[in-house]
Amino acid sequence: MKNIFKTKLDAACFVLIPACIGINYLGKLFASVLKLPLWLDSIGTCIGAILGGPIIGGICGAANNLIYGFTTGDSITLVYALTSLGIGVAVGIMARLGKMSNLPGAILTAVVAGLVAVVISTPLNIIFWGGTTGNIWGDAVFAWSQAAQLPVAFGSFLDEIIVDVPDKLITILIVYAIIKGLPKKLTSLYDINDEITSLD
Amino acid sequence: MKSISLYVDKDTYLTRLHPFAKIFYIVAAISVPMIVGTLWMYGVLIGISLCLLISGGIIKKVFPLIAFSFTIIITIFLIHGLFNQNNVNVLFSLGPLEFYKEGLLYASKIGLNILNMLLTFAVFVLTTRPATLVDDLEQIGFSPRFGYMISSVFQIIPQMMGTMNTIMDAQRSRGMETEGSLFVRAKAFIPLISPVVSSSLINTRERAIALEVRGFDSKKQKTFLSDHKLKAGDKLFMLGMTVLLIGSLIWRILLWLS
Amino acid sequence: MAFIEVNNLKYRYPHTENLALDGISFQIEKGQFIGIAGQNKSGKSTLCQAFSGLIPTMFKGAYGGKIVIDGMEAAKTPVAELCQKVGLVFQNPFNQLSGAKDTVFEEIAFGLQNLGVPRDEIVKRVEENLRLLDIEEYRDRNPFDLSGGQTQRVAIASILAMNPQVIVLDEPTSQLDPQGSEEVFRVVEKLSEMGITIIMVEHKVEKLAAYCHKILLLHEGKQIAYDTPEQIFSRDDLGELGVEAPVFTRVCRALSVKEGGTYPVTLSQTEALKGQFPEGLPGRQAGNGSQGQQGEGADKHAGSSVFTIENLNFSYTPEVTVIDQLNLKLDYRPTAIIGQNGAGKTTLVKLLKGLLKPVSGSILFGDLDISGKTVAQLAGSIGYVFQNPDDQIFKNQVLEEVMVGPLNIGMSREEAKEHARNALTMVDLLQEEKENPYDLDLSERKLVAIASVVAMNPDVLILDEPTIAQDARGRAIIGKLVQELSSQGKLIVAILHDMDFVAEYFQRVIVMAHGRILADGPGAEVFYETEALKEARLEQPHVTALCQALGYKGAFLTIDDMRL
Repeated sequence: MKNIFKTKLDAACFVLIPACIGINYLGKLFASVLKLPLWLDSIGTCIGAILGGPIIGGICGAANNLIYGFTTGDSITLVYALTSLGIGVAVGIMARLGKMSNLPGAILTAVVAGLVAVVISTPLNIIFWGGTTGNIWGDAVFAWSQAAQLPVAFGSFLDEIIVDVPDKLITILIVYAIIKGLPKKLTSLYDINDEITSLD
Repeated sequence: MKSISLYVDKDTYLTRLHPFAKIFYIVAAISVPMIVGTLWMYGVLIGISLCLLISGGIIKKVFPLIAFSFTIIITIFLIHGLFNQNNVNVLFSLGPLEFYKEGLLYASKIGLNILNMLLTFAVFVLTTRPATLVDDLEQIGFSPRFGYMISSVFQIIPQMMGTMNTIMDAQRSRGMETEGSLFVRAKAFIPLISPVVSSSLINTRERAIALEVRGFDSKKQKTFLSDHKLKAGDKLFMLGMTVLLIGSLIWRILLWLS
Repeated sequence: MAFIEVNNLKYRYPHTENLALDGISFQIEKGQFIGIAGQNKSGKSTLCQAFSGLIPTMFKGAYGGKIVIDGMEAAKTPVAELCQKVGLVFQNPFNQLSGAKDTVFEEIAFGLQNLGVPRDEIVKRVEENLRLLDIEEYRDRNPFDLSGGQTQRVAIASILAMNPQVIVLDEPTSQLDPQGSEEVFRVVEKLSEMGITIIMVEHKVEKLAAYCHKILLLHEGKQIAYDTPEQIFSRDDLGELGVEAPVFTRVCRALSVKEGGTYPVTLSQTEALKGQFPEGLPGRQAGNGSQGQQGEGADKHAGSSVFTIENLNFSYTPEVTVIDQLNLKLDYRPTAIIGQNGAGKTTLVKLLKGLLKPVSGSILFGDLDISGKTVAQLAGSIGYVFQNPDDQIFKNQVLEEVMVGPLNIGMSREEAKEHARNALTMVDLLQEEKENPYDLDLSERKLVAIASVVAMNPDVLILDEPTIAQDARGRAIIGKLVQELSSQGKLIVAILHDMDFVAEYFQRVIVMAHGRILADGPGAEVFYETEALKEARLEQPHVTALCQALGYKGAFLTIDDMRL
């Protein structure tokens, strides 16, 4: 169990994090170029989490939103740094538990990551935007829940589930497809258990 | 090279103001109205931010940011104006839609908060060079490794955006369609993102080598090429912000006591 | 004890079975210039990384034996300490930048800052190295905005600033254009004169021969020989080891020009033996030389034009013209486009492929105006292989990857498989069809990318710098592929920096500079248009230069042309 949070903090990891943030960015860009109805903006965070563990995953997620927030002035992104951090940590833990090595495990990881995202985002949505998410479909449900006199928290929770869970599910499936194809040669740099053996 | 940072390279008093002083401004400008809790206080701070932006000559750069947040603000007004659960008094109606006073008041508060946050961050973001911020953070003891990480993002993203076009061209050259039905477009996603991941990992390996051979893992105290000491003006500004923050706290506490 | 001692060095990468280095032992004296030669995957880069301690400290794996540099044992010294004694420079100039600095000055200072060198000393050393590498004018530029050659010099300056006594150069020019390579080699010469010990891996064997005191010859991780360039390059088994001797040596071998049991390895050594050369040689004649062999298919179509380009103009931004009023007809002869980076070569071929649209003028493909077609529509008839294979590879298996294009253009799975297998056979990678492409070497991945386009069976094949990172064997494979496809009646257009390769395999040579064509014709003519070559800052093929130095009249492009 101790190994779950074991983290290397060498040059390789500090180069991996910016690369993952870049992958997040390109994932989002490709999704918008292809006009896909998803964000797909946490692919890099998930890859960072799988290769480097929950701590690197968490750093990837949080740093991603903080850096964009502080440079592009997008304070909305900034608020969700906590959510990204949660996703990175959750995926990292699931990967270290060996769940990302088969499809059912990957789906389970996706569900966990989606729920973590929902649990963290819902209070943020309520505090900052009164419960909305800015997504048309999700907000329509929120509007309906309010019209039906349901509690704000519950409405916002539904809103967030509709918005986040499918996106995270597909993100993790994509990540699973990519990771499965990566040869050891590219990932061995991040293996925490490798030691030098002697040939003498 | 196109940068992702919105920093405007102008020599004004705002760009010269120490980044930490500006961070004090962010903290104060966002918390004061929240602590005081009245609508007019949001108005005052939005006014101050606008004055700073105008005097810094960067007001034009803010409009796209505001436009971006408008959709979310409008949604908030619609939903809460129509459906907020505390709604009692109808303020006005548009055809069959009845807008309530309570919901609209709540929405105004959230809307003004969003606008306030946006403008406050704009003051910081538009006038602070990321490299200077990182350097200053490192000088007060922030880990140089994290500093590297932040600076590196600014270099890596424009580079990766260049790669993006090449990858699209390379896959289209092999007959891959990027337009058409949702199915066709969705199918194109993996061939586009997968090379990004693999080539990033290959590059990461080389860049890690490059850092190692330049003493990245050295345990020695890092040297800085320049010092950014807080000047008297910076300190005065920070003091002012602190007074504002404490003042609003006292005001709030007095309000409770009475 | 020698300055550097390598003793029975062995290394195996994690998750692999074979030793990457197997029992390497040699010594280097202070101030020597040592070359490392061998085919791809023979262990050259691994050895370089062992010198700087990255192997095993960073890569782990299994390690045996030792490297001792001036009393420091490489495997046991922290990299951050060892890097002040041994500097490492490698192929890709851009990946060597820290990636976190906005200016060249700060980039060079980065390592010194990490090591905690006092500020005044940093400024002094950075200034010194800016001057030494002749990059003072770029000091405030963003390092990512520089050319490959300039960036590589920044990388060398960054390493030199740390005052190492040894510099390890792992193919420092393999990804640069001819001019960039020259810039870097000039610097390397300067460093050697300053007394720095240099260890260099390089495929340009003419350079190794000219600079090195000794050469270490590797094959499949084993040390074959460690000797003078003359001894190494006069070996009879070089072909089997996948190493090519310098052109001068091969010429002298063909003409049996020898001195004291070895063949000369440099131009000056060869000139010194001028007396042993035949008095006159006929040179290239019609039907003579290697170009005659590839003509059959192409001759049938000769004259019929594949592309007709009229008054073509192109620019990315209104201020800078990239293609300037270009008129050109391309027929079925295999055509090489040569010129420095920035000459407009890649832009021109991208226009042919329809990836870019002309600002004005027209491009006809046969009778078809390509401006109205999408890239995916043209995919079946015009194939384009990008420089970097990693921008396209996304399948887990080589065969699957090569089948992507054929399937996209509507072939059945069976048909696609057959085409893919044929294409893999042409690049000699069929035995790797089940492998993960990323388990292959970069040079092999480039061949996979070529195969993945060839498998689509296009009428035109455009290759953008296919020979970069290839060793002698890889170059021969690509050369054969050009000949074979050409004899099937396909047009091959290639952008190339390797003049010897152009001279050997291409019937038509186009010289470009500043978006214009400076010379156009058979190699035997173009490589003698000295004015045009000079303006494009290109050099003649080695054989051509040698024959001019020896005073032969006539056209000489390849060693075959020099046979009596």
